[in-house]
Amino acid sequence: MKILIQAHEIAKQILDKRQADAILGLMEKNGSVGPGLLRSPQDAEDLVLEPKILLSKIGLRILKAAPAGFRLAIMCRGCDERALRELAKMNQLDLSAVRLVGVACREFQAARCVCQRPYPTHTDVGENVPGIDPFADEKMLELLQKEDITGMKRWASILQKCIKCYGCRNACPLCVCDPCRLADSAWILPIDISPEPMAFHLIRAFHLADRCVACGACQETCPADIPLLAIQLFLRKVLKERHGYEPGLDTEHRSPLLGDLIKESGKDDELPAWESSLSPKQPLVARGEEKI
Amino acid sequence: MLVFACKWCGFIGADGAGRKRIPLTPHFRLIPVECAASVEPDVIIRALADGIDGIAIFGCHLGGCRYNQANHMAVKRNELLQDLFDIIGVDRRRLMVSWGTAHEPFQFERDIYRFQQILEKLPPMDHLLKPPTFQTNRL
Repeated sequence: MKILIQAHEIAKQILDKRQADAILGLMEKNGSVGPGLLRSPQDAEDLVLEPKILLSKIGLRILKAAPAGFRLAIMCRGCDERALRELAKMNQLDLSAVRLVGVACREFQAARCVCQRPYPTHTDVGENVPGIDPFADEKMLELLQKEDITGMKRWASILQKCIKCYGCRNACPLCVCDPCRLADSAWILPIDISPEPMAFHLIRAFHLADRCVACGACQETCPADIPLLAIQLFLRKVLKERHGYEPGLDTEHRSPLLGDLIKESGKDDELPAWESSLSPKQPLVARGEEKI
Repeated sequence: MLVFACKWCGFIGADGAGRKRIPLTPHFRLIPVECAASVEPDVIIRALADGIDGIAIFGCHLGGCRYNQANHMAVKRNELLQDLFDIIGVDRRRLMVSWGTAHEPFQFERDIYRFQQILEKLPPMDHLLKPPTFQTNRL
C-alpha cells in the first residue's frame, strides 16, 4: 500500500510540474485493471502497479501516433525499460521524449518470471529485490540438455502443441517488424493450423536472439504452455558468456552479432585461425592437395 | 545437402574444383550468394525444415571478405545458431561453415567430402521434424 501511495505522489508531481504530457500506466476503473493514459493530476488516484502488464509496446504505438513534441512518461518495470532501450537501438523511438518512472518488481513477481534483473536502473517506486538465477531450476536444465543425434523428441513433443495463434509474436515487446516474416507464406506454411514445429519457433527464437530482454511475455501469453522463455534464456546466456553482451542494459553497446571479431577481442589484427566448423578453432595442417 | 558459396571465393573455388576434374560427390546443390553473411539463419532453418540434411556455407577467409567484416558476423551468427540447434535436438554438425579462397578447390572438395561422411551417419532430417502424431492427424 505504501508503494502505491509513493507511485501516486510521483505521478501527481510529474503531471503538476508538466514534466510529461501524459503518464502511461495501469489504471483501475470500475473494478477492472488495464493500461491507460493519465492526463490530469486528479487521474493519479486511479494508478495501480499490479499485475504485470508490459507497457513498452503500447507506449511505442502511442508515441508513433502522437504529434511531435509529445512527452510521455511510462511506469516501467525492469523488463519494460530494457525493451524500450532495445527499441531505441532499433530506431523505433526516441528515448529523450520519454520519461521513465522505474518500478521495482515485488518478490513474488520476480519468482514468477524467474527474472535475473527484476528492477530498472533507477528505481522510483518500490524497493529492489535480488534477481533469481533461472538456471538453478532443475526443470529448466532438463529442458536445455543437449540432445543426442536421434533427439528432437522432447522439443518436438513440446512445440507440437503450438496452435499458431501468433500470441508470442504479438505479446513480445520487441517484435516490431512489418511485414512479419512469420506471417509470410514463403517462410511459414499459412494453411497448417499446426505449423512445422521447428521452422516457426526457431525463426522466432533466432530473430530475437540478440534483443530478447527476458520479460517472459511470450511464455505468459502462450495458450499451449510452451516454455519459450527457456530457449531465449539459453541464447541470452550464450551471448553473455561468449561476447559479454546483455540486451537492453544500455543504448551504447550494439549487438555483437553485428560487429566484427577484431574489435571485440581487443587484440589487434588477431583473428581466430580456423578454416571450417568441422575442425573448430584449429588451423588444418594436412592440406587437401596431399590426398590426391 | 545444400551448399551456399560466396561468389568471390567459395564459388570460384567450387568452380575450380570442377575445372580441375576433382571427383566430387553428386549429392549437393550449390547456390552462389553475394556474401556468406547474406545467408540468413532463417534460410538455414527453412531449408532444414524442408528436409534438407545439411547446409554448408563457404566464404572468404576471415579478414578477406569483400564486404568489410561481413563474414565475422556470419561466424558469430552461425555459431549461435548451432548452439540453438544443440538444445532443440538438431545435430549442430548439420550446419557447416568453411572459409577459403578462390584458389582452394581442394579445400572445397575436402570439406564437402568430410561433410558428407558426417551426414551419412545422421538420420534423415524429415523424420525428425514431423513427429508421428502430427502425421496421423493429417491422414
